[in-house]
Amino acid sequence: MTGSSAESPFALRLPDGTVQRGPVVDLREGAVGTALSLHRLRRAIRDGRPTGPEAPAVSSPPPGATHAHVARLAFDTRIRTRAALAAVAFDRGVETPHDDDLLEAARSLRSHSPAPIDDGELRDARRKAAEAGAETDRLRERVATVRGRVTALREAAADDARRSPETDEGVADAETALSDATRRLSEAATERVAATQRLKLLEAQARNARDGRNTRISLEDRLENCRRKVRAARVDAVSDEFHAARRETVRRVHGLDEAASDALPTDVPEFVDALAVARIAPIRAPVVVAGDVVGAFGGADAAFEWLDAPLVIC
Amino acid sequence: MLLVVTYSRRARETLRNACRAHEETVVRRFGRAALLRETEYGAFLACRLRERHAADVQIERTEPFNEFADAPESVREAAAAYEDRESPSTPYDRFAAGTEYPDPAAMREREL
Repeated sequence: MTGSSAESPFALRLPDGTVQRGPVVDLREGAVGTALSLHRLRRAIRDGRPTGPEAPAVSSPPPGATHAHVARLAFDTRIRTRAALAAVAFDRGVETPHDDDLLEAARSLRSHSPAPIDDGELRDARRKAAEAGAETDRLRERVATVRGRVTALREAAADDARRSPETDEGVADAETALSDATRRLSEAATERVAATQRLKLLEAQARNARDGRNTRISLEDRLENCRRKVRAARVDAVSDEFHAARRETVRRVHGLDEAASDALPTDVPEFVDALAVARIAPIRAPVVVAGDVVGAFGGADAAFEWLDAPLVIC
Repeated sequence: MLLVVTYSRRARETLRNACRAHEETVVRRFGRAALLRETEYGAFLACRLRERHAADVQIERTEPFNEFADAPESVREAAAAYEDRESPSTPYDRFAAGTEYPDPAAMREREL
């Protein structure tokens, strides 16, 4: 409740060219407001520039971190309260004892680039080693088969006293096939050794490179830890104020006394959370508020005063 | 078994989800590593992790260590004798010095 919103009015240029100025723009009356897509309006607020020829344009101070959490306030608004409270503290510039650690952790991670591993090359080497192995096994079997045949033919020739030229030729052919198969086996075996060695080398390199990745994942975990601590500290910093704002808002909206506040319907708490967040956050870009919410506050001026944020009512 | 070790937060998350969804294939889970059963389904999970996270996943095929087949007798005996030593604070270097037990530096150099 810094009164900041009054110092930061905004201008909303509608698709028909008309310009309306905040801190409160009420679009409930008139065809323009009803034709305006909520989605486009919110995008215009977020981006701060026209997002298309037919789109509205908003000129306002940039939305802070909290704005996204309370960009639209309606009875069905849902909010991640802790994240929103951390954003409130951030927008307020709340410092935590873990800020330096967080910066340092982020810096360490940025400056750490693990050695690349050429996964395609490694995969290729794995495939080649597997294929060379299979080929060697196949040829080894082939050599054994052919050798068996050569032996059988030689024995048959030795038994045959009256050796015919055909028999000699058969032995010679088989011997040629054997030497051929043996040569191919020896080539395949050489290839297998080469493929295996290459794979071993690449795997060893990958193992070394993974040391760097090991460090990186530790750094990432450390960063996440720091973020969690910072978030918790930020939430703590605004928690009391948030709960007070929440109680006040419940009283204000429902006209209930404090003791009766837990009689609210179960789907209401998140909506009340959103209102309380909007109330305590320094919000400079307009928040889109549903007409019935404004009604619950008793009118546009009252809602503006309570939420202390520029508003577009529609 | 298939040992799967992950090296990035995203790969770790995928492994965690896979382990949760396929308990029957997971033998053991460690922080960012897991031992998968050596079935085609274990291989299927391992291949999927490799497809998605490439070099951020390391996959090794493990087998039980049989000290009687895989390690020399001198090593087995040295281990047994050292674990049976009288003074618990004696480091192995000193324990082995001047005995027939293998020298630790030499053991480090010799592959199994």
